[in-house]
Amino acid sequence: MPAPAPARDLRFLDPAILARLGTMELKARTVVEGFLAGLHRSPYRGFSVEFAEYRQYLPGDDLNTLDWKIYARSDRHYVKKFEEETNLECHVLLDVSASMAYRGSAPMSKLEYGSVLAGALAFLMHRQRDATGLMAFDDRITFRLPAGARAGHLHTLLLALERLQPGQRSSAARPLRQLAEALIKRSMVVVISDLLEDSEPVIRGLRHLKSRGSEVIVFQLLDPHELTFPFQEPAKFRDVESEEELLADPATVRTSYLRQLAGLTLKYDRGLRGAGIDYVQLDTSQPLDFALLSYLAARQRQK
Amino acid sequence: MSFLYPAFLIGALAAAIPIVLHLLRRDVAPEVPFTAVHLLRRSPFEQTRRRKLKDLLLLAARIAALVLLAIAFARPYFTASAEGPSLQIIAIDRSFSMSAPGRFERAQAEAREALARAGRGQRVAVIAFDDRATIVAPPGGAGEARAAIDALRPAYGGTRFAPVFDRAIELSERDDARLTIISDLQRAGWENETPVTVPASLDVDVRDVSVSAGNLAVTKLRRDGDNVRVEILNGGASPASGTVRLAVDNRPAATAPFSVPAASASEVAVPYRASARGVLTAEIDDPAGFAFDNRRFLLLDATGRPEIIIVGDSVNQSGFFATRVLQSGDADAGFDVQTKTAAAFGGVPQEVLSQQAVVILLSTRNLDRRGRESLAGFVRKGGGLLIAASPDVDPTVIATSMAWRDFAAVEQPATGAVLAATDLRHPIFRPFGALAANLGQVRFTRSWKVRPDGWEVAARMTDGSPALLERHEGSGRVVLFASDIDRRWNDFPLNAAFVPFVIEAVRHAAALTEVPGEYLVADVPQGGGAEPGVHTLGDGRRITVNVDPRESVTPAVTPVEFKARIGSAPEPARPPVERQARQAEGTQNLWRYGLLLMLAALVGESVVGRTR
Repeated sequence: MPAPAPARDLRFLDPAILARLGTMELKARTVVEGFLAGLHRSPYRGFSVEFAEYRQYLPGDDLNTLDWKIYARSDRHYVKKFEEETNLECHVLLDVSASMAYRGSAPMSKLEYGSVLAGALAFLMHRQRDATGLMAFDDRITFRLPAGARAGHLHTLLLALERLQPGQRSSAARPLRQLAEALIKRSMVVVISDLLEDSEPVIRGLRHLKSRGSEVIVFQLLDPHELTFPFQEPAKFRDVESEEELLADPATVRTSYLRQLAGLTLKYDRGLRGAGIDYVQLDTSQPLDFALLSYLAARQRQK
Repeated sequence: MSFLYPAFLIGALAAAIPIVLHLLRRDVAPEVPFTAVHLLRRSPFEQTRRRKLKDLLLLAARIAALVLLAIAFARPYFTASAEGPSLQIIAIDRSFSMSAPGRFERAQAEAREALARAGRGQRVAVIAFDDRATIVAPPGGAGEARAAIDALRPAYGGTRFAPVFDRAIELSERDDARLTIISDLQRAGWENETPVTVPASLDVDVRDVSVSAGNLAVTKLRRDGDNVRVEILNGGASPASGTVRLAVDNRPAATAPFSVPAASASEVAVPYRASARGVLTAEIDDPAGFAFDNRRFLLLDATGRPEIIIVGDSVNQSGFFATRVLQSGDADAGFDVQTKTAAAFGGVPQEVLSQQAVVILLSTRNLDRRGRESLAGFVRKGGGLLIAASPDVDPTVIATSMAWRDFAAVEQPATGAVLAATDLRHPIFRPFGALAANLGQVRFTRSWKVRPDGWEVAARMTDGSPALLERHEGSGRVVLFASDIDRRWNDFPLNAAFVPFVIEAVRHAAALTEVPGEYLVADVPQGGGAEPGVHTLGDGRRITVNVDPRESVTPAVTPVEFKARIGSAPEPARPPVERQARQAEGTQNLWRYGLLLMLAALVGESVVGRTR
């Protein structure tokens, strides 16, 4: 995966700024345009067959790209540049379980962050003429928008993202199975979840998707509090999904917790990468560029 | 275990504070929503268990510290497991009357029996007494007490009970105690004694070891022209007879038969003209009686009238009354008195001064340096000095003359205070007899307030200030009367007790005896031996030492009579039980261990807490 240019302006990818923006469409547009503006001479430019720009002919250019109509009107040689276009079908699976509503020290909750990420991806996909679908799930599918590439589809999708509410307990295995059954042709599946559940069923479900020919990319969203467990004073920790309570002294359990989390991450990493699935862990306090770059890398592979 | 201040144990409830805080803290622990509680729950059990163990240790250490602090403040003590008081004092009479056959062995057996009755937790002290009471085994274990009892032997002193109670009260000051007095209860032990009062905490038990056997004793020996008169006392219930043997310097000189009726004394005239020098001994046989009163010694060395210089003031005619008193005696008992002014005292030749028995200092006005040096040298060489306070005597001059750095005296009014003999058996007051009561009739207007450091106090004013003091200086003796003897600060010269007081004070200062050179065992001057016989003092003077003839008198008092002479001090304000508890606690001092344990608990808490 190529590294982004170091001089990019990340202001509009910062979750703290995004959180203050209004609609999901604005957020998604800001992310994508900010991201693309920073890419400059990105190697991903020109994916579709859509017209991109004119450039004066230079010796060595393919004569097939000469625009003879311009030549006829202006008696000058211009080369016509096109953007590539595919008919890729892309599905974004967004976890809306109760744990995704958690917000520790990050500017946005994981659900908000995931929604912006999903919106940005949808925006990006739409620009590339890909058919984009959305599926929200907790332990079941709570919302589904079939993939589409029409002009109003993106707006519907972004509106749906904006209206999503946290659901119940998360269990990704069943929705993944249902999606795998529903997919007819090779697609790209983006899973956005915190994956704080039993890893085995999730890995099995994702592998199943991959085995059906889909390119799968998994974004695991974690709040900084979940990543570092920075609590100091003993507290009664209540699980936001199960309502389970546990009195613990952070000083005592921090090391153990971080070890457990690292173990879980390692399981996902090994289980998914071994199956050719991109697994990206995201800190919800960090900018979204890394997520988008990950997507583009996967998109490139799908092509 | 008991507690002196059990109310402080309420403070132990503070131990609940860590528990309550723990519980409250658990209840008020903030609720924090979190997503991965199941990851928290997977913490290793060992660590959690260790943490719980640490928490328990911390809690236990904190609770222990608080409880120990409360216990320390409550002043714990162990109550004695054995019945009775915690201190057993065994006082054994070792006066020479105990030398009667089998008597002292019986006393020792009684002492061992008393020792065996002492409980395991009881401390035991042993006092041996005759004229004086000596602690031969301080409060401690039975082993030391037994060894002290076994080592005791009869001595040569007479019986005196008052010092026993003084010592016992001194020992039992902090403890409930039982005093077991083992004695033949000689009646002389109570003579001329002020009433004895013991505190309620001192339980007195009396063991009589006297036997009904008689006693023969030589109680007097004197020259009478061509005869030597020997007084023989028969303390037995039947007449006694025998032979009295005279010896001079251990060489047999004469014998004479004697016959003494039961319970009486007879004087036997032994035809013998004693020589002018030597030591005369009269001896009888009495295997059944006391061992040390069968012989008596008499010094035959010729002695003249003691010479005395009164240093006074010619203007005030000081020394008038003292001079009259000292010159009033007959040819044998009087003194040769000469009066000098303080200014003239320095001019007295040393050879004349060395002949003086006593210097009576009534004025220091114009006492020059030579006079001061003569006075100090005279005393240090064995002379006697009697000082009577007066407006003419400057304490500073005395202090500088005698080089007494600690001496200080301040003139003060003595309104209402009268003289009280502290010890009626003191050599100065002993001859007073019933006349001692007259001392209380003397009216004092002024006196010196003397700092008693370095002095022995023989009498005090009723306001507690020392009135008659004595100290040794070199080989001599100094007697200080804190008021004057010239009727300026008191009316003492008009009192009947004045004459014997002056004579005895002078005799005591000069270490003179009624019979020149004869001393009783209890009165032997410094440097003399403590056993009957002939001794030579440091200044070369020979003296004879005889046992106190009062000790030879039988019968003794009964235990009931003995106890009747002991008064009880008023009940203390505190209940005896509380006092006992206070004493036990004060002895054990367990609170110190409590605080040490608390400190250890806090250190442990710190160590455990740091490993968190």
